[in-house]
Formats: sequence, C-alpha cells, structure tokens
Amino acid sequence: MSRSAPATLGGRLGRGALGAWYGIVVAFLFAPIVTSVVFAFNAGTLGKQSARFTGWTLQWFGVAWANTSLRSAIATSLSASFWSALIAVVIGSALGYALVRHPSRRVRALLTGLTYVLLIVPETVTGVSLLLFYAVTNVPLSLMTLVFGITPLAISVTALIVRAGVLTLDRRLDEAAADLGANRWQALWFVVLPHLAPSVGAGALMSYVFSFDNLVVSSFLTTPQVNTLPVYLYGSLQYGPSPAIYAAAVAVFMFTMLILGLAALLYRLVQRRAARPHR
Amino acid sequence: MTPSTATPRTGRLRRAHRGHGIDHVFAAVPTAWLFVFFIAPLAFTVVYSFGHAEFGSVTLGFTLANYQTALSGFYLTTFLRTLQFAATACAFCLLAAYPAAYFIARHAGRWKTQALVLVLVPYFTSFLIRVMSWQILLARGGPIEFVLNLLHLTNGPLDVMDTQTAVFIGMVYAYLPIAVVPLYIVLERIPVSLIEASRDLGAPPWRSFLHVTLPLSRPGIATAVLLTGVPMLGELVIPGLLGGDRGVLMGQAISAQYLDSQNYALGSAMAVLVLLAVAIIVALLARLTRGFAEVSA
Repeated sequence: MSRSAPATLGGRLGRGALGAWYGIVVAFLFAPIVTSVVFAFNAGTLGKQSARFTGWTLQWFGVAWANTSLRSAIATSLSASFWSALIAVVIGSALGYALVRHPSRRVRALLTGLTYVLLIVPETVTGVSLLLFYAVTNVPLSLMTLVFGITPLAISVTALIVRAGVLTLDRRLDEAAADLGANRWQALWFVVLPHLAPSVGAGALMSYVFSFDNLVVSSFLTTPQVNTLPVYLYGSLQYGPSPAIYAAAVAVFMFTMLILGLAALLYRLVQRRAARPHR
Repeated sequence: MTPSTATPRTGRLRRAHRGHGIDHVFAAVPTAWLFVFFIAPLAFTVVYSFGHAEFGSVTLGFTLANYQTALSGFYLTTFLRTLQFAATACAFCLLAAYPAAYFIARHAGRWKTQALVLVLVPYFTSFLIRVMSWQILLARGGPIEFVLNLLHLTNGPLDVMDTQTAVFIGMVYAYLPIAVVPLYIVLERIPVSLIEASRDLGAPPWRSFLHVTLPLSRPGIATAVLLTGVPMLGELVIPGLLGGDRGVLMGQAISAQYLDSQNYALGSAMAVLVLLAVAIIVALLARLTRGFAEVSA
C-alpha cells in the first residue's frame, strides 16, 4: 500500500518537503518547552530572569521551595485536582458509557452534544459564569466551589476516553453475562468494568492533569486563601519572569509528565486488549 | 451499534436492551451535574446580560442597554479585533498543521502513531510553561533576536514582546497541536485508491489534491477550526502574558468587567456575544460538513 505512490523525482521532493515541514513543526512545538526547562537553571541577572542565559544554577529550585505561598498553592492544586479527578472519573465514566450504550438514540445525541459543548465554550465565559453563579446563589468561594467549577471539563475529558474504550468492547460480553444469569449491575461490575479499567484509569489520570493545569476557570474561582499553582504562577508572571517561577513550573512539569507517562502506559494496555477479540 | 431489534432475542436480553434503570442513571447523573455546574451558570449569564447594571450588583429586568454598550466604541472594536484575530490565528494553525498531518498520515509509515504523539506531547504539558517561555524567546536580547540577527534577517533589537504579533505567535503555537489531530484522522481515512484513481485518470498531483483530498478532508478542517478558532475567542492567558496593555482581546475585556469594574451586566452581555459567535461558527461548520456521517472525529 505505502509503495503505491510512484517514486518519481517530484513525488520524492514532495515527500521530502512534507517531512521537512513536519520536522519544523515539531521543533517549533518543543523549542519553548526546552527553553522553559533550560531557563529554570539560569542564574539570571540581579535575581531576575534574563533573556540571555548567564550560567547554570540550582538555587532557584531552593528559592521556589522556600516560598510558602507557592507551597500552599501546590498543596491546594494537589487536593483540588484530586477531588476533581475523583468526581470526573465517576461521572465521566458513566457519561462515557451512556454516550455509546444508552438505548435511546436521542439521549445519546444529546449527551454527545453536551460533551462537545463543554470542550468548545471558551473557558473565560465558563469562568465568569461560575463566578456569577456562586455570587448570585450566595455560595462563598472555597476549595469545593473551585473543584466543582473545574469538574465539567474534567468530566468531558474522561467521558471521551472511556467512550473510546466502550467502543472497543464486544457487546456479546454483556449478553454472555446475561445468559449466565447476571443482572445488569453484576454484568457491569464483573464483566464491563474490568475490561474498561485501563480506559477509566487513563481517564482519571488525564482529568487529574487537566484539573491540575487548569488556569482560566480557576483564575476566577480562586481567593487569596484558596490559590492554585497555575493561578499563582500566572499572577507572578505578570510582574515579569522570575527564575524561581520557572523552577517551580518545571518541577511541576516533570510531575505532570510522570502522570502522563502512566496514562500512556494504561492506554497501550487498552489497545493491546482491544486487539485481541478481533483476531 | 446495530438496533437491538435486528435479531430475535430471549426475553431477558430484550429487556436488557430496551433500557434499564442503569442506563437512565448513567445518563441522568452526568446531565444533572453538568446542568448545575455548567448550563445553569451560563443561563445566569444570559439572564444577567439583560439586567440593569449597578456597581457590583445587577437589578434583574429586561434592557438591551448592556448590548448597546458592548456593541459600541471600545467594546465593539475589541469584539471585532478578537474575531479577526481568532480567524487569522486559526487560519495560520490550519496552514501549518495540514502539511504536517498529511505527512504523518501518508508518509510516516509504521511510525505514524509515534509521529502523532510527538506533536501531541507539547499540548499536554503545562499550558503555562508553553506560553511563558515566549516571554524569554521574544524578549530583547533573547534567543530569537540572536538567531534572526545571526541569519541577517533583522538587525538590532527585536521589538515583538508586548505586541499583537507576540500574542499571535503565542496563539498559533498553543493551538497548533490540537489542529493536527482531526486533520490527521480524516486524512488517514481517505482511501489511497481514490487518489490513485484520480491519478490514473490523468490528474496531476495538485489536481487530485485539490479535487479529491481537500474536499474529503472537510470534516477534519471543521473539527480543527472548532478546537482552535473557538477557544481563541475567549483566550485570556496568552494576551495577558505576551500582549502587554496593547490590543486587549475579548477574554481580558470580559474578565475586567467582572474582576475590576464589577459591571456584571456588561460583562455578561459581552460573554453572551462570544457565545453567539461560537454558536454561529458551529452552525457554519455543520453546514460545511453536511453530507458527512459525523462532524466530530
């Protein structure tokens, strides 16, 4: 199949140009990330971040760690994304399952629409609406109002991942379970859920990362007492870049990459499993 | 996917397929949750956009005054600037993403998945890390100035930070990976045989691209616009970090009404305008892909 394109000079040139463009795109995408990581180790000038690299140092990681409001922002972020991911994994998995398996086509269409709308409404609009919502209903901002505010996005992310998993599930599994006398709950719990476990796991990790990284909605729902890391870093960056901010962001970045690596491993497990019954 | 009535089943199975408490619970709980924490807040915004503004509060009622303000003078300029900005940045995203997606789908061979993941990884790293480093990259005396001077493309200091150009670069950069995915999915699905057929019938490569590949990739283009252009309409962080005070966009203008001016009614009207723009774009995209089985990838 792949050899079907005639290997003319023009074809090879075209392929070369496309490949070169792909390379440029990848370089463009990674350059800023590499820059951030490198400049977390930048000595800087007069305790400030400098545009020119002035020498390697590890001191900014220490400076960042000594900053108590930064540390409490990290703690808030960790617990807010934990609760958000927990809610998202329960509600998002149910939604992901219903997106594929709900008997009514109309309900499925409605749920699908809702899931996509969540992803495309600009976050600024969602954020101000939530702020207004809490103000009007007289609910004071707290950790939980923040968590609830960021759950819709996390739910839609989890739902889409679980939906992909449900699509690969063989319906005959449910039927076999029913034939063997299982009721729906038993079939779900003992047959479907174990098969979906990798997707649910990947969904949980992804929603954790999404919640942890959330900045726009959070920026409207945080208070001086409840401040998340991205909001804190964003606030500091508006007074100009500081190397300690870079150090903190990079440390967190490593943590995120670790979680994403786990999610990727789980996802590969799903795919390997999905490949089996079709053989 | 097939209707449950396709084959005769035993009573127990038919009952299982006709819908069960579980199905309703699984549909109702997420809907209820999203209704409270997503739909209801948006509805409040719509209601408040018609209210009478007072400092820090709104008297409910029905007036179009907020919309009049939002659609005149500074606010109208901001709105139009945002629309234009999102349109151009989105177009640049697509132009950059399409060839890359084409390469992955057609020429990456057995490295397809890895090639796609490589583009996606940056998207899933911290948003802040990706945007903030442009403050260094584009700064005077920074790396990009150095490279441009080295190549003799520019001479002397680079004056890009805190301008709309910087915001533009940041936007294209931030949303580029997510534009590649739907384009890749749709290009990957176009059967090679169709392109071969057009070649057999004598079409030069550019014609078979223009008349076969491009029209067939319309759903991917629509989804890419949905995932890049639409969120750009409300983008808050990129202009905040790279744009300075010049050329405020809608996201900042809305946020300022809520957090600084405390004019919730005007802020709501502006947010509703953004939502309307989103709705119109979605409707247009749906038209563009009419005749295709599904818009979404």
